Amino acid sequence: MRLLKATHINFLKWKYVALGLTVLIIGAGILNMTVGKGWKPGVDFGGGTLIRVVLKDTPSVSDVRNSLERVGLGNSLIQSTGKGGHEFLIRTRQVFLGKTEEEEIEAHARLADQVISALKASQGTPQDQAGLLDLNTIDKANLTSLLEASFPGEGAGLAEAVIGVRNGVNVLSTEGAITGILTGFDQLEREGIKPEVLQVLKDKTTLGPMAVVSRETVGPQAGAELRRKATLAVIWSLIGMLIYIAVRFKLAYGVAAILTLTQDVLITLSIYSFTNREINLPIVAALLTIVGFSINDTIVTFDRVRENLKTMRKDSLEGVMNVSINQMLGRTMITSGTVFLTVLALFLFGGEVINDFAFVMLIGVIEGIYSTVYLSCPIVLWWNKIFPSKRGFRK
Amino acid sequence: MRKGLRWKVVLILAVLAVAVVVSYPITKKIKLGLDLKGGMHLVLQVMTDDAVNQETDQEILRLQDLFKKNSLTYASMARIEPGKLAIQGLNPEQEGKVRDQLDLLRDWDYSLSGPTATATYKTLAIQAIREQAVGQSVETIRNRVDAFGVAEPIIQRQGTSRIIVELPGVDDPDRVQGIIKMTALLEWKLVQAGPAPDEATLLKDLGGAPPDNQEVVAIAPKSRESEGGSFFLLEKVAAVTGADLRTVRRTLDEWNNPAVSFGLKADGARRFESITGQNIGRRLAIILDGKVQSAPVINARISDEGIITGHFTVEQADDLVTVLKAGALPAGLKTLENRTIGPSLGADSVRAGMLAGLIAIVSVMAFMVIYYKLSGFNAVAAMLLNVVILFGSLAYFKATLTLPGIAGIILGLGMSVDANVLIFERIREEHALGKGILSSIALGFQRAFTAIFDSNLTTIISAVFLFQFGTGAIKGYAITLIISLTANLFTAVFVSHVIFDLTHNKNTKTLSI
Repeated sequence: MRLLKATHINFLKWKYVALGLTVLIIGAGILNMTVGKGWKPGVDFGGGTLIRVVLKDTPSVSDVRNSLERVGLGNSLIQSTGKGGHEFLIRTRQVFLGKTEEEEIEAHARLADQVISALKASQGTPQDQAGLLDLNTIDKANLTSLLEASFPGEGAGLAEAVIGVRNGVNVLSTEGAITGILTGFDQLEREGIKPEVLQVLKDKTTLGPMAVVSRETVGPQAGAELRRKATLAVIWSLIGMLIYIAVRFKLAYGVAAILTLTQDVLITLSIYSFTNREINLPIVAALLTIVGFSINDTIVTFDRVRENLKTMRKDSLEGVMNVSINQMLGRTMITSGTVFLTVLALFLFGGEVINDFAFVMLIGVIEGIYSTVYLSCPIVLWWNKIFPSKRGFRK
Repeated sequence: MRKGLRWKVVLILAVLAVAVVVSYPITKKIKLGLDLKGGMHLVLQVMTDDAVNQETDQEILRLQDLFKKNSLTYASMARIEPGKLAIQGLNPEQEGKVRDQLDLLRDWDYSLSGPTATATYKTLAIQAIREQAVGQSVETIRNRVDAFGVAEPIIQRQGTSRIIVELPGVDDPDRVQGIIKMTALLEWKLVQAGPAPDEATLLKDLGGAPPDNQEVVAIAPKSRESEGGSFFLLEKVAAVTGADLRTVRRTLDEWNNPAVSFGLKADGARRFESITGQNIGRRLAIILDGKVQSAPVINARISDEGIITGHFTVEQADDLVTVLKAGALPAGLKTLENRTIGPSLGADSVRAGMLAGLIAIVSVMAFMVIYYKLSGFNAVAAMLLNVVILFGSLAYFKATLTLPGIAGIILGLGMSVDANVLIFERIREEHALGKGILSSIALGFQRAFTAIFDSNLTTIISAVFLFQFGTGAIKGYAITLIISLTANLFTAVFVSHVIFDLTHNKNTKTLSI
């Protein structure tokens, strides 16, 4: 089976059009990120508090906003994250300027507490259940001692099983399943908790209205530190690649590879900035993955150029590059296609946490092909024009 | 089978066996990161100024003692900033003698002019104090976390004054944070006056300010003493402190409420005995982190045992025992970063990641077999072996698998497929040029090798830098990538070649690719 017959496309004829397109997209992205609202640093880089809660009921986003409004936090970012409308992401927006780091982070922590208690209050606890332990927030140690009283010697195992049901450890499909909270005692029954245990739980505990799934607070100083370290790591790894490629190929190829990668990141960020997604550390990992794929593409092409230069002694460099790109076209399509397939699977089935990551990868994989063909090779050509080799390197 | 080939097969099987043995059972051997397992990640700042202040105050007490012994007069002696103290209202006629005393402060630089003197800690000495405070904090936190019973905690220093605490699987984060951050400075001090509702009433007879050797201390809210007032006037010097404790355990007080009983070491017991013996009828306050918990009346000489009462729940009393056993923190801690991931979210991510990974691997494998026919199975075998080696290495190096780490695996698998595609395409090209089956295979591997080697090594180099300079999430990505790509050079090139050699010989008529 063969995807492509031998092709003879003059890719490099379009190099100036491609350059224009690149400049256009990056320009729009930079405008959007600086003047517009495109740059949305997440908790990792922006500082602040991000709370993920799962509720027993399914209120609307505006219901949630209303209950937060009562404590003056109506301007928080609120997002329903699926799970049948049970789960919400809340990011507080208040920023406390002009205070010390410690005061600020403590203020954030207090805000988070306020959000949680406001939501709890709005969900309400029936009077007759007051004084009972909340099975939706109880920790393993306390549940163990509660069950140990009725079932000596079995407390730990039973507690583990009950909390396992709450966390959804046996759930196989991600779609639609509610994990992190018990919406009714029947859920325990269905998962095989024994009736006598269930009776004890019904007598001694209640199902609270809400559980906090995750809570992240990053102070501005720590956020700046994370940003600085991420940038530093990326810069050093680029320098490392530049040196290696310059040694194995030529300096022009190293420079071209690094510039290509830089524009990969910029274009992806630009497109990303037009979506309503935030930038967090996993997104940085996704950008690095794109860089990884792109450098792979670029080097595979350069390798073919290096090889063809030895045999095609009469052709111009541009001609050799065109032939090389055409020779590698089938391989590029297959590799990028399979990677695209993988990332598409992540995007569709990977769940909400991985979704942003997969989205960046989707943009990046497509963009990576384009940049290898239209940027890395032309840059080598331009470089050779600006810095002509003394030993008569081919134009 | 040719001899060289036999050894290659043995090597491959050996690698496979080692990887499987090392990583079996996989759920036990692979450490999941906090984002996949749930748990707590804290970045704490050690307020090293606290420790410097404490040392400064100690020095002031010593100096006051020396001045008294040598009958030197002064109006006030106080700390004005961390590591800096000032003495006012000295008698200029005693300058020589004052200098003699100040010369005794080895770690201090001082300047004396007329009635005032200031002294500053030497930079090196301050650095040593801060250094020690951070080191001791790490130790104390480790002891507390161990006593509380968290499996596989990570407690490490970051930079000059930060501490990273990672506690996997913690399901009561607020309580744990309380235990970690409680300074747990326990002191016993004699009561001079009080309790009183506010500071002014307490200091009415003293002209509004406490004498040098006394201080006003607030009463812990909701404690037994808080009914009588909010403040006590106490002696500044503690009779005994938490450092003198020999044993602590939870007990019940006379009203059957949870309390903490303690026993003192010999040296502390001697001091405790003499203080209680000399002050029968007076009250002795028990202060925890600057708040009076209780102030019982001394009824008799007590030697080495006693009880701390307060308004404790069983849990609080247990936590207090935990922290007192581990010792006090030398300085306060502030949270710079707090991430708590619930176990349900981690389970969601693992489930989603596994499902997506499975779909991805199966579909890529199916594609390779359809597109490259029998040769596609080479790619499948190489990919599977790559995954096995990856998990084996993760288990062996005790590395942690994180969400970004899964990204690294995806890139690794992508490049594993790519390596095979490069080789297969090259074999096809050579075969199309009319070369024989065996030489097409040999040339395909030989010519594709530089591209595979250069691209993998470039990415490995960049990943090494990311690992070196990156933080948690980026490190997690880099580690799986490095392992996967290194394995790739073995599986995609070496193993795939061996499989070709095993399945093709001089008699092979067709090349299924």
